[in-house]
Amino acid sequence: MREKATTLYLGPQHPGITGNMMVRLKVEGDTIVKATTEVGYLHRAFEKLAEKRNWLQTFTLMCRFCVPEPDPMEESYSRAVEAIEGRIVPERAKYIRVMMLELARIGSLLLWHAGQAGSTGLYTVGQWTVGDRNYILDLFEELTGARIYHMYIWPGGVRRDFPEGFADKVLKTMDYLEGRLKDYDNLMFENSIFQKRTQGVGYVSPKQIIERGVVGPVLRGAGIRSDIRIDDPYEVYDKLDFKIPTETSSDIWGRALVRREELRQSIRIIRQVIEKMPEGAIYNKVPNPQKWTIPPGDALARTESSRGEIGFYVVSDGSNKPRRVHLRGAAYVHAMTLLEDVLVGQNISDVSTIMNSLGTCAPEIER
Amino acid sequence: MDKGKRFDTIRARIKENFVLSQDKIYADKNRLDISVSKQRTPAILFFCKEQLGFIHLMHVGIVDWIEDGTLELVFMLWSPTEKLRVYIRTRLNRENPVMENMDMIWPQLNTYEREFKEMYGIDFKGLIAAEEFLLEDWDGPPPMLRDFDTEAYAQEVFHTRPGREDAQDVREAIIKRSQEEIPDFAKKYSRQ
Amino acid sequence: MQNDSRSQKIVDIIQAYARRHSLWILAYGTGCGAIEIPSTMTSRYDAERLGVRGAATPRQADVLLITGYLTVKTLKRVIRVYEQMQSPKYVIGFGSCAINGGMYWDSYNTIKMLDQYIPVDVYISGCMPRPEAVLSGFGKLQDLIKAGVADGPKRYEENFDWYRANQKKIIKNWNFADYNW
Repeated sequence: MREKATTLYLGPQHPGITGNMMVRLKVEGDTIVKATTEVGYLHRAFEKLAEKRNWLQTFTLMCRFCVPEPDPMEESYSRAVEAIEGRIVPERAKYIRVMMLELARIGSLLLWHAGQAGSTGLYTVGQWTVGDRNYILDLFEELTGARIYHMYIWPGGVRRDFPEGFADKVLKTMDYLEGRLKDYDNLMFENSIFQKRTQGVGYVSPKQIIERGVVGPVLRGAGIRSDIRIDDPYEVYDKLDFKIPTETSSDIWGRALVRREELRQSIRIIRQVIEKMPEGAIYNKVPNPQKWTIPPGDALARTESSRGEIGFYVVSDGSNKPRRVHLRGAAYVHAMTLLEDVLVGQNISDVSTIMNSLGTCAPEIER
Repeated sequence: MDKGKRFDTIRARIKENFVLSQDKIYADKNRLDISVSKQRTPAILFFCKEQLGFIHLMHVGIVDWIEDGTLELVFMLWSPTEKLRVYIRTRLNRENPVMENMDMIWPQLNTYEREFKEMYGIDFKGLIAAEEFLLEDWDGPPPMLRDFDTEAYAQEVFHTRPGREDAQDVREAIIKRSQEEIPDFAKKYSRQ
Repeated sequence: MQNDSRSQKIVDIIQAYARRHSLWILAYGTGCGAIEIPSTMTSRYDAERLGVRGAATPRQADVLLITGYLTVKTLKRVIRVYEQMQSPKYVIGFGSCAINGGMYWDSYNTIKMLDQYIPVDVYISGCMPRPEAVLSGFGKLQDLIKAGVADGPKRYEENFDWYRANQKKIIKNWNFADYNW
């Protein structure tokens, strides 16, 4: 007997939804037969505002695109501006940038642990990982002065050099985190509830993933070794030694294992960066920001964030303000079309698990 | 094979199949720029995807060149095997921007087209999607066009808190409130 | 008569005591400020020791945290959520963009003054406000409840026409039910 279809509004006010967005579900019993994503709750028109700001003022807007991980946005924008202008970044600044990016990745992945486990009902994981994320934020605070929005990586380099003893602190925090990883394994990955809720759920075929241009852990969870850090190296990633983890199951469990391993690789990268970091200048000084003009041109800078590839397309018309700043978020390609397809046939209670697993980040789509 | 040669091969293959108005090579920046007319864009995108291996659509940029009266669309493609970038540019008339729907080539173009339709007023023929994407009940002009003045709109529609009208010297206000002495060296930075 | 008002006073004190120690916040991350809420609620800052914890639905929640900017589209949902919440209810505006628009002062899609649309009890400044600032904001709200001046619903009811006019000025398609107060 065919059950009657009901429409269910999941969000925008819903604790399981990743950010301020809505999924309209048509359900028959517990099974989803149609899903429609609705976004736009966070549209602040950054790209419009950038038209009225000069190059440096724009950079303070850029980090606010995505909250859990603002540093890749800053870095990507800065690198696009540098590419148009031909500005050379000192070697030490590049290493510091990589360290910031990896710290941001760790912070974001720890937050992901909380979201992914929380969506299956394991709330203790969130208490631990978000608590540990504070140690990363402490490092950010000491280096940049802010916990969340650092505005630290700017065109030409970075804003401040290490305070005294900072490198040791970073290493100590990494040691601490590495010691905690087995606790997370115990609590989350070896938990049979988590395994049963994730294995075989939210399957996306590799063909579909490639076709849709989905990036990051979702792509690597489908068995494709693709990472911007390797494919299109930026900063000093080509001088560092790290592995790109892949899984073949292409379900939530596979993507979770990829992220679990990425956390370990990030710790490894940070250790190498601290070890190899040269001395020297950190900043290639830009002129007076009011008069700082950039020659006409355009550039696309790609950065691997914890959710996948993000890209900044920056166009200059030769004035002291950007002509166009256009972000391609990692979630932009999958949150609308792919999510709608993946959710069909799934259970209502798995929606939030799947969204966490794909890494849907609403502000990236809406900007 | 070095990048310049690989770019030459790609350019030659494209030229075999299409008559191009203009193309430039930026080999140092890892990219090949091709300008095409809007009628030819879907075909060349499909050719690049299916024949040349540029299967990954990195980004679709859009720029409003109000001086020329055009909207420029930039399709940025990436080949994971060759590790090369190809940018395909096309210009639309700003007064009456019409383009063919292309979401059968890459499904994610559907999202881009929905956004461009709302933000720039581009009419994609044959696009099947909900009317609204980011804005709700918007009745003004497409907001991302450069002649839309967001500041004037915000002033008109929203209440603004008094005290933000102009850039005031914050230190003057603080001195008045707290009777704090300002050090001599800091006085030269005063706005007066 | 005097006896009545005295007993009323005692009831008020007990009520205020109970209310200020069980502030359940609605899990609605309206803006980017929501990123500091997990930090505030978890082990290091542990807001639960003050009686602050999350609630999933508007009917069970006491505090509506407006974490940052509100776009026009979200404002519509926030008004709906606020009207669904049951008294006593409190609103905390969070971040400089809720206070005066912050860095979105010239954006066409975000509101600039939250207290024009719903009654706000406490503002927390900063971009982002740190967890300590959030906790101090909750402390301030507790003080206000103790003093009996956190009366947002009363203000909303008394100036309902003014609030509604402001809301309708921005939300063009007003297609949801008017609540019967």
